Amino acid sequence: MYAYADHLFSRSTSLPFRPAGCEVSLNMRKTRTSLSADEAAWLMAKTANERDRAAFSALFDFYGPRIKAFMMRSGFPSCAAEELAQETMLLVWKKASSFDVSRASVSTWIFTIARNLRIDRLRRENRPQVQSEPFDPSDQPDEPLTGEAIVISSQRAERIRAALAMLSAEQAEVVRLSFYGDKAQTEIASELGIPLGTVKSRVRLALARLRQILDDLK
Amino acid sequence: MTINHHPSDETLLRYASGTLEPGPRVVVAVHVSGCRACEDRGADFEAIGGSVLEDIEAVELSASALDHMMVRIDAMSGKDSARTVGRKPARAEIGIRLPDVLDNCDVGGWRWIGPGIRFSRVTLPGEPEANVMLLKVAPGRKLPKHTHSGREYMQVLSGSFADARGRYRPGDMDEADSKVEHQPIVDPQAECICIAALEGQMRLRGFFGRIIQPFIG
Repeated sequence: MYAYADHLFSRSTSLPFRPAGCEVSLNMRKTRTSLSADEAAWLMAKTANERDRAAFSALFDFYGPRIKAFMMRSGFPSCAAEELAQETMLLVWKKASSFDVSRASVSTWIFTIARNLRIDRLRRENRPQVQSEPFDPSDQPDEPLTGEAIVISSQRAERIRAALAMLSAEQAEVVRLSFYGDKAQTEIASELGIPLGTVKSRVRLALARLRQILDDLK
Repeated sequence: MTINHHPSDETLLRYASGTLEPGPRVVVAVHVSGCRACEDRGADFEAIGGSVLEDIEAVELSASALDHMMVRIDAMSGKDSARTVGRKPARAEIGIRLPDVLDNCDVGGWRWIGPGIRFSRVTLPGEPEANVMLLKVAPGRKLPKHTHSGREYMQVLSGSFADARGRYRPGDMDEADSKVEHQPIVDPQAECICIAALEGQMRLRGFFGRIIQPFIG
């Protein structure tokens, strides 16, 4: 898994740029609707090796709107979500050379960057008075992987997709929703009219089933 | 080294999805950094995060989003060399080598909190309220029987202890929720050092609270 070491207690980042998403506009950038894992990996390689802005733009058009959506579902208003999407993609550009296709798929890697920025942002919102240094995840490399632990990332991504497909629709949904945080769980609970504890126990059951399936698929 | 006690899947999912609280996150990170199985499972859960991101219903960015991105990339070039040097953490001499994932944390000296029990406060940068500490318990010492209001996460760094649920050795993580009432006993061969976190910020009730409250209250 991608090491947290550099993000765990990461320092805050400053946001000198105010993205244009803060003003309401009917004129939106076109979202790329599909991108295969191979295409994404190829675009990442072009971005890393050639600093190819066209390749990066293609990644931006696919992932940017999805990161924004992810942040909005995590509870951020549209403006902050767009800002976080920008921050995430800026780090994708900056850290492109540390992307390792044998470790994770492009989507998974970008997810971990977005996840860490979300942690960082929530930390700052909770404690605006704490002054700390700028956040630079490239400070510390991930520790090298060793031998048999390396499962080729595309195999992992396929195995995960297959496993999620074998869960009931409701179980897959509670697992997915837990990525948006407790707020999302509270919302499911009130939507379904069930206690939060019930949502949590559904997550537990879904994970027990997922473990079985994943072990069988190994 | 065989690891027998792991964080639950639920906890690993929260760790991988970035929704675990700061204190527990650090303790789980210590465990994962030394446990191949949990590292692998964590990677599975991160891959779910990747698929969540792929499948989410996208929300369009503003028309000028890419232009902004390029401006920021241009502004960034050439600034790479001006990297800020991290603050040097304050570390007391506590007699053991701590896992690398704690490198950025301040670690206080050992303080006596009861017969045969000492603790050292671990402070995470930017997270002054997270309840993380090292606990050092003398050989053969029985900890007071306790339950907790929040979930307690405890990773063994050296020595070992046992309770009704089994024996916990270096590399093992004990995750006990409020339903667990336990009375760990440190094995007689050596003192036991653990890193522990309680869920919740400054909600120092329960075992750690009772013991530590007089020192920080």
